[in-house]
Amino acid sequence: MRPFLDYLHSNVTPGEYGSYLWAVIYILIIFAVASVAVMLMTWLERKILAHMQVRLGPMRVGPHGLLQPIADALKLLTKEDILPDEADKMVFWFAPVWVMMIAFLNYVVLPFGRTHAVTDMNIGILFVLGVSSLSVLGVIMAGWSSNSHYPLMGALRSSAQMVSYEVAMGLAIVSAVLMTSLNSTGTGTLSMIGIVEAQKAAGRWYIFSMFPLGLIAFLIFAIAMIAETNRAPFDLPEAESELVAGFHTEYSGFRWSLFFLAEYAAMIGISSVAVTLWLGGYLRPFPNLLSGHSWDLAFSLFPGLVFTGMALMCLIGAARMPKIPQMKVQTIGLWLFGAVIALIAAVLFLPGVRERVQDIFWFAAKVAVFMYLYIWYRGTFPRYRFDQLMNLGWKVLLPISLAVLILTALVGIRQDLSTVLMGVLR
Amino acid sequence: MSVAPLLRKIFLVDLIKGLSVTFRSQHPNELITEQYPLERPWIAERYRGQPRMAVNPDTGESLCNGCGACALACPEKLITVTSDRDPVTKKKYMTSYTYDVSRCMFCGLCQESCPTDCIELSQDYEMALYSREGMTLDRVRLEKGPEPTEYAR
Repeated sequence: MRPFLDYLHSNVTPGEYGSYLWAVIYILIIFAVASVAVMLMTWLERKILAHMQVRLGPMRVGPHGLLQPIADALKLLTKEDILPDEADKMVFWFAPVWVMMIAFLNYVVLPFGRTHAVTDMNIGILFVLGVSSLSVLGVIMAGWSSNSHYPLMGALRSSAQMVSYEVAMGLAIVSAVLMTSLNSTGTGTLSMIGIVEAQKAAGRWYIFSMFPLGLIAFLIFAIAMIAETNRAPFDLPEAESELVAGFHTEYSGFRWSLFFLAEYAAMIGISSVAVTLWLGGYLRPFPNLLSGHSWDLAFSLFPGLVFTGMALMCLIGAARMPKIPQMKVQTIGLWLFGAVIALIAAVLFLPGVRERVQDIFWFAAKVAVFMYLYIWYRGTFPRYRFDQLMNLGWKVLLPISLAVLILTALVGIRQDLSTVLMGVLR
Repeated sequence: MSVAPLLRKIFLVDLIKGLSVTFRSQHPNELITEQYPLERPWIAERYRGQPRMAVNPDTGESLCNGCGACALACPEKLITVTSDRDPVTKKKYMTSYTYDVSRCMFCGLCQESCPTDCIELSQDYEMALYSREGMTLDRVRLEKGPEPTEYAR
């Protein structure tokens, strides 16, 4: 029992500590939180998309439709699970499981904080690249085994798109990894925590380093990751107006919801990768401009303050609820919700918790921005045509990312290069 | 390609413009959806809906004098008025009144023709029924007027 609890005083991930039990606990927590985040995302997506289209969105289930995800989940779980007669039963059954497994496998290496990752692999980013490219297989399995036209076409489009965008994405990632090898210590790293620590040592996020090279690499990754997760405006594999629902046309009920879960989990996972590589991962904002002990303290109080503000909003909202019998249950619910959030805020102010948890807060805040961007793009941009998509991938993103990679390398070794050139000239 | 469009393309100006449009439209003031059963839409004063008959607020007597002008004016012949003559005062009075709303086109000729402003088309619009049976309104229903349903969650 003692070594089990001793982990809490150590400052390493469960993988480094060598405790399987803590690793399992971390996996369970991450799985649960990611599933809840996916449910929240579905609600937020419907709501924000509706507001962008001057609609209200879900309003009937709970206050402002807050319980809508639960209602959706109940509906999906109790729906009939149709297995098409002519389908390849085994593959049809396995495809959603595969897609979901792959989507959640990425989470093994994502660092939510210095100590908050399942494990810190020394090939972390390579692992992410390899695993995320495997999800194409699940999509192809689903499209092929359905034995139907639309799923097959959706799967073909999806495979072409994911494979071609992976190239630009990989090159963008390599240029970020290259930056870690150009820091003061001079040794590069592929480990996710190592990349964040390199940014900490450099005193700046990689999006700002070697301006504008880091920014361009980040933008290429940001475009490629939307194509990679099959989201609007690159949602050709599931283009509703052309292919019904693409590769998951024949799926219904629980299996469809697995695809859905996997898509959103993949969105969160790939955004986390972008945050880790370019936006300083779990580091707080302004590491170089506003440095010093007092700023550290101010930033560590920030999560608690945010939660206090949320609790206040809940309590004010509950006090302002209309005093009619129909609203009684909702008012009590809002009071309790506000009280729970206030409790969380109070816990976040404790010094011991504050130090450990603010990493997670900054990471989640950065990922949340990406999630909002996903919805924002979906509400704004029309879908690309297939040849336009391929043109953008191969003729624009790939050359630019290659150029950025070469320029990053050149800028990194400019001192050595200049001495060599001087020697040649002499 | 000239320089300006190329620069626009490189710095994604058009995309950012589009994003700003969708971002601004999120403002709650822009909402046009009505939460219909919970909040009712604004109805114009001259809207012609379910018919009703006015009563004298002091005595509770019907304002109708049984002249039958509305029945004559109705292009669809939906109104039937029966009347009788009071043996004492020799005045005509209405004995029964039916209004078939099922074929009414809400032209409002009845309320135009009424000399005592008794029959009028109110602003109520929730008149849907499952069959035509309840659509013939008698004097009691007409004098009670429309009873809009209260909705709550």
